[in-house]
This record gives sequence, structure tokens and C-alpha cells, in this order.
Amino acid sequence: MTLPDFKGPVILDIPADPLAMFIVRALVDKISAKIGFEPRQTDKLVLAVDEACTNVIRYAYKSAGDERIVITFSIGPDCFEISIRDFGSGADPQTFQGRDLNDIRPGGLGTHFIKSAVDRFEYDTPPGGGMLLKLTKFLPAEEKAQN
Amino acid sequence: MSSSPQVRDMLLPIFRRKVSHIIVDLSEVPYIDSSGIATFVEALQLSRKGQVRFSLAGACRRVESIFDLAYLKNIFEMAPDLSQLIGGERDR
Repeated sequence: MTLPDFKGPVILDIPADPLAMFIVRALVDKISAKIGFEPRQTDKLVLAVDEACTNVIRYAYKSAGDERIVITFSIGPDCFEISIRDFGSGADPQTFQGRDLNDIRPGGLGTHFIKSAVDRFEYDTPPGGGMLLKLTKFLPAEEKAQN
Repeated sequence: MSSSPQVRDMLLPIFRRKVSHIIVDLSEVPYIDSSGIATFVEALQLSRKGQVRFSLAGACRRVESIFDLAYLKNIFEMAPDLSQLIGGERDR
């Protein structure tokens, strides 16, 4: 069995708490490595998902730790999709702007990390409130074909 | 994110003391995120303002890779381990 044959998705429902992020990082790390992404790309995906969840905790939930984040991992024939669903106040998509990296100052790096790790970055405001952020990365063989 | 505020609270007051070199030992740090990076960028700015040498030592591959992704690896003085920087101080 190869991973694209894996009958997903895997759904992780965790507390919106920075202390729970190690579980997310470990899972992204293991799945990405198993898919066959290079260690640097795996690092980038781990960081991207961690930063996206951190944004949810900080901005959508205002650091209230009794809320939930639901992360869905799907491996399709050509891509790895990670959906991050929150039920918070809804962050302003205009805030999803990375900063100029030549500008050496604290802050603004999280969005840069997320966007540079994936091939597609989409968000939606589903019924019931909150936000759904979908991150897509082409699988290694597919990535070569795209370039 | 969970430990960045504590690191910031511990690190930044050191710049108010009369020190010539601050080294942060990262050898026990398995992971860093953008808030951790932001804390070190703030410290770097204070070091430049106060003309204090600021170095990071012992970063593991993943932590080093995150500095690299932020295009900051060459902005910070980074040594593979603490002994290199302490040895360097002794040699001065």
C-alpha cells in the first residue's frame, strides 16, 4: 500500500491551546515524511500548520483555551491537503499578509511561513461561524511535474 | 508560542545590564515558531543599539532550518555549540 491509497481522511480535534501543538507538529511530521517529502519541506509544513493553529488561538479565540481546532489531513492522488477549522470570531483575511523579509523586525513572519510552505492557500467562512483554512501541497512526484 | 513570553521576559532585561556578550544556548530547544523568532529579532535589535554582541549556540537542524526559512540565519551569529563561543571569548 502506498500513502495515496490510504483511505483518509485523518481528523484531529484538539484544544486550542499552545501546549497541544506538539501533537499537531508530530502528526504533520510523520505524515509528511511518510509521503516522501524532503526533510526541509517537512519542516516547512510542520511550521506552516503550527503557525496557522497559533493564529487561530491568538486571533480567532483570543487565547481562550477552552475552544477547539479541528484539523483534517487528506492525501489525494496528487496532493496533501490540510484543513484547519475553527469556530472563533473570524480573523480578517486582510491580516494574512506576509511582510517583506528584508525588513528585519519582530512579527509578520507567520503568514510568510504558511504561504511559502504550500502550493495553495485558501480560506472560507463556513456556515456556523469561524473559518476554514485549507493548505495544499502537491505530492513530491506531482510537484516535479508541475515545475 | 507557549514559552516565548517567558524567554522574552528573561532575555530582554539582560540588555539593561552592562554586559558585552549575550549567548543563548538553544541546544535543548527542539522547536521554534514565529513568536520565538520575533523575540530573538527584538533581542538582536537591542544588541545593535547597545553595541552588545548577541549570539545563538547549539541550534538543532529543525531550529536552524526555521531561521533559514525566515532569511535570518546569516543575520544572527550562530555557532554549532556553546564551547565555540565561550572559547572565542577566552581567546580575546
